[in-house]
Amino acid sequence: MQLRHSFTELRQGLRRNVSMHIAVVLTLFVSLTLVGLGAMLNQQAVKAADQWGSELQITVYLCRDGDDNPACLSEVTDPQKQQIATVVEDSPEVAGSYTETKAQAFEKVKELFGPERFEGPDAALTADDMAESVWITLEDPDEYEGIVSALKGLPGVARIQDLRDVVGPILSSIDALKYGAIGTAAFLVLAALLLVANTIRLAALARRKEIGIMRLVGASTLYIALPFLMEALVTAFLGVALAAGALAAFLKFGIIDRAAQGLTFMPWIGWEDYYVTLIGIGILGPVLTLLPTLLLTRKYIKV
Amino acid sequence: MIRFEKVTKTYPGPGKPALDNVSIDIEKGEFVFLVGTSGSGKSTALRLVLRESRPTSGRVYVAGKEVNRLAGWKVPRLRRQIGTVFQDFRLLPNKTVSENVAFALQVIGKSRSEIDQVVPSTLELVGLEGKGDRLPDELSGGEQQRVAIARAFVNRPMILIADEPTGNLDPTTSAGIMKLLGRINETGTTVLMATHDEYVVDQMQKRVVELAHGRVTRDEARGGYGSTVV
Repeated sequence: MQLRHSFTELRQGLRRNVSMHIAVVLTLFVSLTLVGLGAMLNQQAVKAADQWGSELQITVYLCRDGDDNPACLSEVTDPQKQQIATVVEDSPEVAGSYTETKAQAFEKVKELFGPERFEGPDAALTADDMAESVWITLEDPDEYEGIVSALKGLPGVARIQDLRDVVGPILSSIDALKYGAIGTAAFLVLAALLLVANTIRLAALARRKEIGIMRLVGASTLYIALPFLMEALVTAFLGVALAAGALAAFLKFGIIDRAAQGLTFMPWIGWEDYYVTLIGIGILGPVLTLLPTLLLTRKYIKV
Repeated sequence: MIRFEKVTKTYPGPGKPALDNVSIDIEKGEFVFLVGTSGSGKSTALRLVLRESRPTSGRVYVAGKEVNRLAGWKVPRLRRQIGTVFQDFRLLPNKTVSENVAFALQVIGKSRSEIDQVVPSTLELVGLEGKGDRLPDELSGGEQQRVAIARAFVNRPMILIADEPTGNLDPTTSAGIMKLLGRINETGTTVLMATHDEYVVDQMQKRVVELAHGRVTRDEARGGYGSTVV
């Protein structure tokens, strides 16, 4: 297929409708940035929840060898674990629970502080220094006293950590930001779709004479639609590129250089999460412009 | 080459059908005038041949294919076998004469070298040699129609459809255009021309199919515009 004509049309189309295209690119840029932000905040929330449990959870740390707690006479024994498990299972306040092994706890620590300090002969910690723990998910976050008092003082229990007071506000503010970003993005996505639709309408109107002739002489539908599709792809590419830049700046200057430096107790998202987000908006951007283009070109240039 | 079999076309809304049980058979290489007053169904018949619309009932065959059963993606292929000329020329004002003619080949994917070869020879055929670099509005009406004919014929279609091609032209210019269409017909191209230009029909003495209220009222091998049967 001879594409020379399509590229000429593409160039003309972009120039003829430049203000509309800029509007589309900017709307796409902002909406994709917000969608990406929402996705990254979601990853952040997941990371935080993995570390601390979600706000419905309480953590029961079991005794380890040489525990600070004087009630711990030795490493927790299997019968003690059995008894704790029975108490947890029988409690009506508990929705579910799982046990985190020493090795798993060690992995978390390594992830949070980086693995370098925990390897080799003079490692700061080893898996044996970690406590085994039981993570309990509550039926209702407000009803926890029964299970806490039942577990408190049981042999083998070192301490019960109810991080909900600490984690709760952080998680809920991440959630609020996430939903705010996604909600705003939804409106902007709608605006972007309508803008693309308007752009196509104008372009089809401007080219109706040529389109009519192309249909008459037997140009294929794809050939007629190609300049429109390429315009859609170009605007999508620009929107995605700007959003990718904005998200990279947010990650670098907002998270890596600032938040992660200040709040080291929290695991932060990094570049690998950014790449996942980038793939997402890299797909979403073209879909947002191609979808209305395909639908409308079918309508306007039907053979 | 073109066959209508009991074709009826009804447009939505009340009123009589635009075409009512029409049967016409046009052989390869024929030159046929489709005459009749406005609203008699001429344009509807041409639109059915081009598959711009489909009959309500009956069948339309073009080049051996039943066009109303043609899949949508095959329609462009059908139209490549049909050249079309209109009363209002439909040229692209911002393209030169050569570019207008070349456009028809470009958009169906012909190679540059083929276009460079065939466009000048087609312009010569229609009597526009040396005017390839002009813009349409620098030409007379007759010359513009010649450009449109060149564009319709440049791909050497089997069928040429002309909808009132002389409608905007004076009699002398019309005669030139008719001569050109006659020459194209002599190359073996089937020509179907809708018109209510009495003069050209009487001059050409070709087959005439007359429509009135969507029905064929006359089909004469060598007719004039008005009925020869008094």
